[in-house]
Amino acid sequence: MTLIRPLSRRGFLNMGAAAGLGLMLPRTGLIQPARAAGPLPAVAEEEAVIAWGYVGPTADEGWTWAHDQGRQAVQNAYPKLKTIYVESVPYSADASRIYRQFVSEGAHMVFANSNYGDFLYDVAARAPEVAFFECDGRSPMDNLGTYYVQHWYPSYVTGVAAGLLSKTGKLGYVASFPVPSVYSGTNAFLMGARSVNPSATVQTIVINSWFDPQAAAQAGTALIDNGCDLLFGIMDEAAYLQVAEQRGAKAVMWNTDIRRYGPNAYVSSIVVDFGAYYVEQVRRRLAGEWTPSQDILPMGQGVDRDAWGQSVPAEVAAQADAARDKILSGWSPFTGEIKDSKGNIRIAAGQTMTETELYNWDWSIEGVSGLDS
Amino acid sequence: MMGWRLQRLPSAKPRLAFLARAVSVILALLVAGLVTAAAGFHPFDLGAEVVSSSFGSRFGIEDLGLLLTPLIYTGLAVAVGLRIGAWNIGAEGQFNIGAFCAAGVALFVPGPVWMVLPLMVFGGALGGAAWILVPTLARAYADVSELITTLLLNFVALLLVYYVATGPWLDPSGHALATTARLPVAIPEFWGIVHWGFPVAVAMAMALAILFALTRWGYEIRISGSNPGAARYAGIPVRRHLITVMLMSGAIAGLGGVMEVAGTVGRLQGGISNNYGYLGIMVAVLARAAPLGVLASALLMAVILNGGIILQTQGLTTNTVLAVTGLILLFSAIGDELAHYRVIRTTAQRA
Repeated sequence: MTLIRPLSRRGFLNMGAAAGLGLMLPRTGLIQPARAAGPLPAVAEEEAVIAWGYVGPTADEGWTWAHDQGRQAVQNAYPKLKTIYVESVPYSADASRIYRQFVSEGAHMVFANSNYGDFLYDVAARAPEVAFFECDGRSPMDNLGTYYVQHWYPSYVTGVAAGLLSKTGKLGYVASFPVPSVYSGTNAFLMGARSVNPSATVQTIVINSWFDPQAAAQAGTALIDNGCDLLFGIMDEAAYLQVAEQRGAKAVMWNTDIRRYGPNAYVSSIVVDFGAYYVEQVRRRLAGEWTPSQDILPMGQGVDRDAWGQSVPAEVAAQADAARDKILSGWSPFTGEIKDSKGNIRIAAGQTMTETELYNWDWSIEGVSGLDS
Repeated sequence: MMGWRLQRLPSAKPRLAFLARAVSVILALLVAGLVTAAAGFHPFDLGAEVVSSSFGSRFGIEDLGLLLTPLIYTGLAVAVGLRIGAWNIGAEGQFNIGAFCAAGVALFVPGPVWMVLPLMVFGGALGGAAWILVPTLARAYADVSELITTLLLNFVALLLVYYVATGPWLDPSGHALATTARLPVAIPEFWGIVHWGFPVAVAMAMALAILFALTRWGYEIRISGSNPGAARYAGIPVRRHLITVMLMSGAIAGLGGVMEVAGTVGRLQGGISNNYGYLGIMVAVLARAAPLGVLASALLMAVILNGGIILQTQGLTTNTVLAVTGLILLFSAIGDELAHYRVIRTTAQRA
């Protein structure tokens, strides 16, 4: 696999050790130490402008909604500063225009959700006094940090429940793009399912969008037509949950508790909460302590499985939660032997994948179809 | 008995057309201002912010130049087709293919920049022309409407770009929107972040204006467009001209794609065309298919789009911004059409 930058495993271990300190994440960079000569200067609260660029609409009840809750948490914690945001920032040169506009409006911090890559770096390079954040990013700069969540652990936990709930053992996945989040999500989910049903498989359909309810619904329908009776995915909205509800299937969701769109189909969700993280980062910037870091919020502190759905039997929930407890106490399910979709052994027996490898996962395990070409 | 009636003129008087355009833009801004005021914003502050952000700083002007460039290419592509009465709705697709070909050359052809760069430009233009070849031949020989054929090929081109950017050409470094690796060869910068695609576009608009206004070829194109029957009768090779012009149109759109991928974005990815192809239709229509007019209408469009981005950061939702943009275009179109009419007094005819 290709690692763009080797992450230090120690950084992640430190992060685990720091878990007790809430969101005081390690100062030892996960990817590389902060290169900034020093922290960015302090900003008075009443002058501060904090900007967010969102991938979708805030009303999506998903990813963007969750980040906007984080923005509101910042506004509540610091009522005198000004927060601004733009919804549905496209992945085109328009993204650079929007981020540059934030800078010209005097933003002191810019959060990009997520993965705007070069469109963001071009702006960050020309605005050294502004603190940038790229969610799910991998290329830190002097004034750009990255942050994400260890979603693979709750994905594994919900995968255990999925393996127990699915009658056919055929799980479906509505994917956005073949990117690491999708690889780690599908792989972790299937490993969870296979821990209870060794013959389970995951079939994937890529729809080239994070927010396209119509395409997501079509993909969900196609997966159920192919025999899948439980859907997972990484969509910012609830379309495939509604499909599952209509077709009598089950669904695991992402971002938020959206069971009201399919109360019978709803199994759980990979819920995220960036509020505390955002408040802490803003506090550092205002206090003149901010330097870029690479943070991945661990399970239980920014990402977790949601409360189980009403149709999940208590014994299924208990078995999945047992896996969750094991992970929280330090066990990793991502231990070899792990084969890729072509049957090659990628992780040798007894070897445990590092958090770096999990974060950058770019190959499918055996049993996941539709991602590797 | 006296009456009044409207008479439509075949072409608008320039002064009247300009006046109509100015009035319509002002009216549209007025309506937009009223709507935003009703929504609780201060329209004058918003307007001042748009103007100062767009023109008040060098960054703003550079940004505008970057946004303007692809709009000129796609606008010219559509305008060229319109000269001979062909609606190239497929500039979006040809733009994507141009970007695709340029990226392919940049990623897989080794060699010095002076060799690879012209190859990219040539390959992209050729790709754009190839993408419109089938609709062109279908229109020229079987009279199949190019409206539908060029439009449908847009989706094929878009999916092709998505396929290579998320599949065989994928850069596995973890971008949410899967992209290719950064192209090793770029269009050199011309002024700040504005690359050479911009002066080339302006030069091309001028060259086309000269070609259409001063050459026999341009004259024949115009005749073929406005009255194919008469043109054929006069011995003008209408079919050959149609094929040439449509291929030219595709090549120009393809060139726009080359400049965007190698000058502005740097990587091939699904959203590369950013609707420039469709916006080009509006640019060309507003310019009444005049190449130099395209420069002006592309600038108007760029200011509107850039203004839209600025308005979004001021807390207006995407939908409000789209509505304002649509209003300006609607009023401009109405104003353009109205400029074609004059009011004349009539005397009732005796039966």
